[in-house]
Amino acid sequence: MNHETTRRELLGHAVRGAGLLGLGGVAVYLTAKADDEGVWVLDTSKCVNSRLGATGIEACELCATSCVRPLSAVRAINDFEKCGRCYICPAYFDVTSAVDENGLPSAKLCPRDAIKREPIGWVDPDDPANNFYEYTIDEALCNGCGICVLACKDPSGLGSIRLEVRYDLCLDCNRCSNAAACPDDAIDRKPLSRAGAPQRHPAS
Amino acid sequence: MKRSARLITILVLTFVVSQTALAQIEYERPVDVAPTEEDIGEGYVTPAVQRPLPRSTLLNITDTVLLLGAMGISAWLGLVRRSRTGIVVLAIVCAVYFGFYRKGCVCPIGAIQNVAVALTDPSYAVSYVVIAFFFAPLVLALLFGRVFCGGVCPFGAIQELVVLRPVQVPRRLDRALGLLKYVYLGLAIWFAVLPAVERDFIICRFDPFVGFFRRTGPAYMLIIGGALLVLGMFIGRPYCRYLCPYGGLLAQLARFSWKGVTITPDKELDCGLCAESCPYGAIEKLRAVRTSCLSCARCYTACPRERAPAREDASAESHEATG
Repeated sequence: MNHETTRRELLGHAVRGAGLLGLGGVAVYLTAKADDEGVWVLDTSKCVNSRLGATGIEACELCATSCVRPLSAVRAINDFEKCGRCYICPAYFDVTSAVDENGLPSAKLCPRDAIKREPIGWVDPDDPANNFYEYTIDEALCNGCGICVLACKDPSGLGSIRLEVRYDLCLDCNRCSNAAACPDDAIDRKPLSRAGAPQRHPAS
Repeated sequence: MKRSARLITILVLTFVVSQTALAQIEYERPVDVAPTEEDIGEGYVTPAVQRPLPRSTLLNITDTVLLLGAMGISAWLGLVRRSRTGIVVLAIVCAVYFGFYRKGCVCPIGAIQNVAVALTDPSYAVSYVVIAFFFAPLVLALLFGRVFCGGVCPFGAIQELVVLRPVQVPRRLDRALGLLKYVYLGLAIWFAVLPAVERDFIICRFDPFVGFFRRTGPAYMLIIGGALLVLGMFIGRPYCRYLCPYGGLLAQLARFSWKGVTITPDKELDCGLCAESCPYGAIEKLRAVRTSCLSCARCYTACPRERAPAREDASAESHEATG
């Protein structure tokens, strides 16, 4: 082993050491900054389908068609704390359709028939209009088009249905195609703590 | 008889009139507040709204451990075990997990832009898993060369598998095209450090192969990917060599790597079979060029010394060669 190779090796070690230190330093800086994880969040107050004041419009269905997943990671959620359990739900029925023999609109609003309607609580056997109904969204069928969200919006409904990014389905793309397509910038990356979602279980 | 006929007519008329008049309901919201559990009765309990959690920390740790493990195996297979079959199997396994199962997210190539944003925008932070995925392959490149490209990267894997009849790109053209990835890297950083509203994750937007892993994607993405795969049949790994911005970073670090691919196990022959076998033009003067060697282990299979490790040679000779 001659002197020349030793110098070369030393130089190599020095460059590698400097490189590792540099990479490590940047990584440590970023790690210190990364106190919370960013997730894509849909801000209901900005979403045109649920934003008050935006009435007499067609439902914005971009979340259903823009997502990179075959079935969008955005899905409709019915908040049962707010749902009026109406006999004729404007998000379940197409209230402009012809009335059938039961006095109910004959057509359903959801193009994918993803909403289920069940009488709940004390059921009046004689008068179906005297009952409360639970409207449950079948997550496996919903494609997040938002038609029901628009229909349930105040004043026609109580605004209990909203669109939400399903974190378990979201691929967490750098460039969310829903966010890019959204006309109102309603989808944004936020730290998990500000996403309105429950925090992770400490053990998981 | 007459009476009943009249009755039927009236009934029919009433029915028709009712059908036209009540063609649709006069909809009015029946309630202003949600009914309480007591209103609903019968022990009704308001169901909880399904609130899914993001990918759990445990799974993120699993991803990181798998990445580190795969790179370790890739380095071992490429530099120590010298197994082409092993590298191919590892690349396929990684393509299945990181590509098809994890749908290409998170990937170090796109992470370039996230890291660039996090370094310049005080309000933007990247998650731990992104940091791990971005830095681990760079560290490995400083130690063992581009082992990430060879055995772990799913993009590398699908291009590796389509290499059909590779032609040697003229050296000068190869060098010139190789500069494109640095242009792309520069553009990617430029678009990342722009103010938030103008920021554009171009690497992800023009990602050629992620559409195949997700089996869906914008038409232009699939067309670019398909074109690169067709091109890749004749020009080995065009994306890795000429376009991949992360490949540019890895190449510059691999330049100073501690260990690298050594083509012959012991003694060189001047046969040049290795240089011909390399579809990536990474062998110059019978040596693997560390910046462009993708650690694919093809040259080993072409090397006559590798096939018959010459133990009958004088032991003094091999001492000379390794010493």
